[in-house]
Amino acid sequence: MLFKCKNCGGNVVFEPSRQKMYCPHCEGEDSENLVTGGSAAQCLNCGAPLELPEDASAARCSHCGSYLIFDERVEGALRPNLVLPFRLNKEQAVAKLNQEFSNRVFTPSDFMSTKSLEQMEGDYVPFWLYDFQAQYDFVGEGTRVRTWRSGNTEYVETSYYEVVRRMDADFDKVPVDASYQMDDSVMDLMEPYDYQALENFDPKFMSGFYAQIYNQPPQELESRARDKAGHASEELLQQSLSGYGTMRPLRKNLNLQPKGAFYALLPVWRYRYRYRNQDYLFYVNGQTGKVIGVSPVSRPKVLFYSASVFALVTAVCGLALRFLWML
Amino acid sequence: MRGVTAKARYSSRDNTECDTTERVFDYADVLSDNEEEKLRSLIAKRERQCGCDIVLVTLDRSLKDEAREIDPDVDYEEFVRIYAEQFYEEHNFGYDRANGDGTILVDNWYREDDGNIYTWLTTTGRAYDKMSDYDVDYVLDDVYRYIERNPYRAYKTYVNGVYRQMTGSGLFRLRVPGWIPWLAGIIAALGFLLFNWNSKKGASTVTAFTYVAGKQAQFPVRQDRFLRKSVTQHTIQTSSSGGSSGHSSGGGGGHSSGSHGGGGHHR
Repeated sequence: MLFKCKNCGGNVVFEPSRQKMYCPHCEGEDSENLVTGGSAAQCLNCGAPLELPEDASAARCSHCGSYLIFDERVEGALRPNLVLPFRLNKEQAVAKLNQEFSNRVFTPSDFMSTKSLEQMEGDYVPFWLYDFQAQYDFVGEGTRVRTWRSGNTEYVETSYYEVVRRMDADFDKVPVDASYQMDDSVMDLMEPYDYQALENFDPKFMSGFYAQIYNQPPQELESRARDKAGHASEELLQQSLSGYGTMRPLRKNLNLQPKGAFYALLPVWRYRYRYRNQDYLFYVNGQTGKVIGVSPVSRPKVLFYSASVFALVTAVCGLALRFLWML
Repeated sequence: MRGVTAKARYSSRDNTECDTTERVFDYADVLSDNEEEKLRSLIAKRERQCGCDIVLVTLDRSLKDEAREIDPDVDYEEFVRIYAEQFYEEHNFGYDRANGDGTILVDNWYREDDGNIYTWLTTTGRAYDKMSDYDVDYVLDDVYRYIERNPYRAYKTYVNGVYRQMTGSGLFRLRVPGWIPWLAGIIAALGFLLFNWNSKKGASTVTAFTYVAGKQAQFPVRQDRFLRKSVTQHTIQTSSSGGSSGHSSGGGGGHSSGSHGGGGHHR
């Protein structure tokens, strides 16, 4: 499918800064007309053949530049339940990257060059969002220690307590990315997203961006979500056990009851920067602006700055010592 | 500021037996008249500030025969020592009294037949007390740093070095080897590298509450029941010493007139 402008026939896209459909050709707002059909093999607008990964559900035609959404990959079992629309547009994402990396002195000079940034693209990453109901039963023996002195004698009083807790917590939409393309550790760092802005799926939000279908079904990824909820449950329980010097668990049982899993698309700006024949990937959370990535290091800059600091400090120390000596 | 304090402490020179007011004896003629004059001024100022006579002698002749006349077994490096001590005593140098507080540097530019040029720094009185062998070596090291390319600067370093050793304390008496600035530079460069070398992808901003509905867990059961108590006790060991904590120190070693310390270098 494709969104075309009623006014000018141009490709209408979702503009994050306006939170509206927008035609960049005639600057019309909400002027979209949905054109269905087409396939992932051929551009619905210009008919050019498309060469796309099998899991792409939205992409841009390299010939005419239109943003296409592939009907068969957003329907049936592949239809997302939810989508979190982009809140940051490309310029705002670039500004976030700039803010993060502009003060890093070893970053190559052309890291944020216009030419490099042309490669930056907005992706909807497939996620499974899991709901769990957690019930944690805990029994332990805790101690509290009090110490005092009387004359030359030191007393240590240890009090023992039976500590019983039953904790209930509802975990709401624990996210796990379902894309092979995305590094799990990177996607975990992209969290959290603000779910208040979640919308029921509408393909219009995909226009203007790339997207993928999920590569793994929810059953396959549930264990990762369980781990996340389990760690959080443990931490919440531990917070309720404060005030004890030691705690010896006697019985503990965490029951995580799955309540449902939702297929959602979450927004990420992806920037691929090539330096010395190596690709460096950077991600900007398309909603919150959180930046993830390790910047490359420019060897000439490292040498220049290190040598400068070395020369400066050596000279200053040498002069200072000579000055002290000559006093 | 240090100079002002020193001036107040050593305002007068008590030695009336010294037979000369000259302090710069440039027999080797390695200094220009102007340089000699500047050294005399500097020495006069430093003597007042540190309360020590500071004498400089340059020579350009062999001291072998006259030294061996006094001591036939004396080593080459001791020739200048014998000369320096004799020179100091003959002229009755010393700030507080004859052969009292002071130093003398004898730099003999003559290459003795063992192929070396010798220099000796003699310390007497308070200078002997204050300057250890290490201190003397330190001053001579600094003199030798400049001696070949700029004798004036080397002798100025000697005068300032003696002054510094006699009056300085704390930071000003720190022995700072020449490689310290290089080390500081390396440490600073490494610190700069570490500080700016960011290899972290990003930080996790998820907390235990992030995905919990209502941002809090419920605790329908929360019991803390006291079971029992145990008390242990132990006696604290204290020191039984009851004496005062004052220190006693032995008397300082006095130096009779004519006793010297010091050290030498050769090049």
